[in-house]
Amino acid sequence: MAESKSIKEFISILGAANVTTDSSGVTDYSIDGLVPKAVLFPENEEQISEILKVASRESVSVMPVGSGTKRSLGNIPPSLDVLLSTQKLDRVLEHEARDLVATTQSGVTLEGFQNKLGENNQFLSVNPMHQAHGATIGGIIASNASGPLRLRYGTLRELLIGLRVVRADGTVFKGGSKVVKNVAGYDLPKLYVGSLGTLGIITEATLRLYPVPERSETYLVSFTTLEKCAETVMELLKSELVMNSLELLNPLLVNEVTGRIGIELKRKKHALAIRVMNVDKAVSEQMALVKKVCNKARGQGVTVEGESENKLWDEIVNCPWNKSSENLVKLKAGVLITDVARVFSELEELSSQRALILYASSKAGNGIVDITLKGDTADLASTINTLREYCESGKGSLVIEAATPELKSEVDVWGDIGSGLALMKRIKSNFDPAGILNPGRFI
Amino acid sequence: MSSDWKIAFKDKLLAILGPQGVIYKDDELIAYECDALTGHRVKPVFVALPETAEQVSSVVRECYEQNVPYVPRGAGTGLSGGALPTEEGIVISLSRMNKILDIDIPNERVVVEPGVVNVSVTDAVSSSGYYYAPDPSSQIVCTIGGNVAENSGGVHCLKYGVTSNHVLGLEVVLPDGEIIQIGGKTAERPGYDLAGLVVGSEGLLGIVTKVTLRIVRKPETVKTLFATFDRIEDAGASVSGITARGVIPAGMEIMDNLCIRSVEEAIGCGYPVDAGAILLVELDGPEAEVTAQMPIVQSVLKDHNANEIKIARDSNERDLFWKGRKSAFPAMGRISSDYYVQDGVIPRSKLAEVLGKVGELSKKYGLRVANVFHAGDGNLHPLVLYDGNVEDEYHKALELAGDILTVCVDSGGSITGEHGVGHDKKRFLSLMFDESDLDTMNLLRCSFDVKGLCNPGKVFPTPRTCVEPGMKPYKEHPLQKKGLGEMY
Repeated sequence: MAESKSIKEFISILGAANVTTDSSGVTDYSIDGLVPKAVLFPENEEQISEILKVASRESVSVMPVGSGTKRSLGNIPPSLDVLLSTQKLDRVLEHEARDLVATTQSGVTLEGFQNKLGENNQFLSVNPMHQAHGATIGGIIASNASGPLRLRYGTLRELLIGLRVVRADGTVFKGGSKVVKNVAGYDLPKLYVGSLGTLGIITEATLRLYPVPERSETYLVSFTTLEKCAETVMELLKSELVMNSLELLNPLLVNEVTGRIGIELKRKKHALAIRVMNVDKAVSEQMALVKKVCNKARGQGVTVEGESENKLWDEIVNCPWNKSSENLVKLKAGVLITDVARVFSELEELSSQRALILYASSKAGNGIVDITLKGDTADLASTINTLREYCESGKGSLVIEAATPELKSEVDVWGDIGSGLALMKRIKSNFDPAGILNPGRFI
Repeated sequence: MSSDWKIAFKDKLLAILGPQGVIYKDDELIAYECDALTGHRVKPVFVALPETAEQVSSVVRECYEQNVPYVPRGAGTGLSGGALPTEEGIVISLSRMNKILDIDIPNERVVVEPGVVNVSVTDAVSSSGYYYAPDPSSQIVCTIGGNVAENSGGVHCLKYGVTSNHVLGLEVVLPDGEIIQIGGKTAERPGYDLAGLVVGSEGLLGIVTKVTLRIVRKPETVKTLFATFDRIEDAGASVSGITARGVIPAGMEIMDNLCIRSVEEAIGCGYPVDAGAILLVELDGPEAEVTAQMPIVQSVLKDHNANEIKIARDSNERDLFWKGRKSAFPAMGRISSDYYVQDGVIPRSKLAEVLGKVGELSKKYGLRVANVFHAGDGNLHPLVLYDGNVEDEYHKALELAGDILTVCVDSGGSITGEHGVGHDKKRFLSLMFDESDLDTMNLLRCSFDVKGLCNPGKVFPTPRTCVEPGMKPYKEHPLQKKGLGEMY
């Protein structure tokens, strides 16, 4: 790039205080081992528009980030010019509690957003990874992060009703609206959920909210075998229970999570964490039914509520990444609900053959399996390839969400995107003709 | 185009679809002149009735090569003219593609062809304790393909969402004839959310030939409450009062006095004709939840001056409560020879205010407006009553309806909640979206349909062309224009 010239222009748009170019500053924001030439911190949408105009003109690649918690998601960038962080777009703009809707700037952290909404006893119904590390609303949308609550409330796809975006050429547009039901024009918010910053930079989002339920309770219950767990999952799903989360955990994760928060679970085997959030009496009645179903399969469990319950879910979502992420690999499989147990056991077998450390949990009612692995790069690569084949043969998918650059150069990050890929590429090239937004990492 | 073109094209269609698959006789084409927006009519050149995705693809490819515009059509129940034919274009009707392909209860999925009628999905899974949640009022006739095009809602979308929340996979014939698979039975796949884009695109991005739907478990309990008010504003304020107390009902519906009277006259379901408004609230879920929430709802209603409050004792009484609501549109015939349905959306919290303004507009124009609406999600269906035999009254009604949309948008809402923009409301789209918003939508359309042949002239206020990077705008060869040459 015409580096120094563009960076000078960025500084004149943003002011020197909002552009990091010193070597330790930029190194903190490296992606897959590549160090950006500058990190930009615009304070408003107009500045983002000005920056992208320059970047499009000068062919400077721009990687949009929020707090940067998911920088490892995507292919290794072919080159890395600047990072643009939305962190300074940090205001919640509007919360109309009676409409169960709020509009926020994209750099607001999920934690900050929830605190604000909590003042009116409402919340954004997602609990993804990295909340404690400042995951932002924009980043959560762009990476389609959700969490165990998706069983009841769905993903950002269900919750995002409107947004404002700066396109690669600097054009600012809005999509959707501020009402929960709207079919005017194309549903552009959907396009941006999971688009990983490749189609524009999200500056504002309008989100659908839920009231905080009166009470929450989780039953953490272990079974003698994985099969018993799987049978119980199917039993629970076909019942009339309204569960908020239904998570299947592998023994190592059970062990680690219970150890960390001091829950006594006698049997350290495969377990389910079943969460019900509702009015007081409905929680009691439904939990009684949950226990009845689990007892039939000889489950041994403990009831968790209050502060330990929050900790439990935080650990289920973040363990082991919240201690150290060094050399860890994160995968996400999307499979049929009825294939979850098969994928789990295939995964366990592959990992034990290669002596890999495995933490696995599954949103069992959604067919999502979250996998953390640690081990030798070649072993990891072969495990991922075999597991991907296994998932794809059952019409599922396997995506690498985080990995070392060494591993990423061995295996494809996304796997088979399917027959829509050419169309996705046309969309990308229409929205970003100069190819400056997160090029080479996704579509 | 010369009519020679038509003769050759008819032969092509016959070769692809066989004699049963092509309608070309004038008297038979009349049925396809419009959808449920009957005020606009255009006779298509032909109607194609494909039975497979491959046939759809062949027909579309033929259209692409000959530059023939086409309009996809389901059951023709759309209220915004989305299936209105294009001059010198054909209609591709999906009505013969009406098979349920796969019912997978453990994975909570059903795969259907687009011509399957909405209610048949629920019928197919009901015995297993499941149902398909989106329930537009036309659900006994409208098709899933049409629902996908319009992103249909219904009376239960406050809690259960609209069509896009229940579509996981699509097979789509793109405007160049290519067949692609988007998503599938699994909850997530890598790549852009193309299914999310195609749902609600009003047939402008391609023709859907297969749909994978999510089905949901029937709730343990359903309880329906019926309340009357003197003032519709009180009914409106109750609605946001209920959600503010942390209760999200499966549905909340309001009808005003005009509506109540016409419904009562038409079907006699026991609605009190002197009530200013009726509010229906349906709660569902675990028994204990419904039992705990019903008193909360009742107390909110009392706080807002509700008169009579009744809870349906059994499913028969519940059906009776709903019968009136579901007959509201057709019942209008009892009190007015003609009516025009509007579909604006407003924030729930503005219900009382907006209803007041609609009342003022009605006075100003001297036309009656009956209000029936999905109050829970703020989706208004004002019915503007007029007499088509009175000179200019139709146009006056349209003007009034347009003013209502302006009020909706000014309150922070939308011009359409579920009926779509179609032909009918395209001039209002710019109330919500400025040039750069529309330009962005056009980028998307051009990614799918560079020639602009797929349901052209709909949704967007002014026609836009596509310029792809590194590509000149598409122009017909002069020989093609004269119908003397074909492009291969």
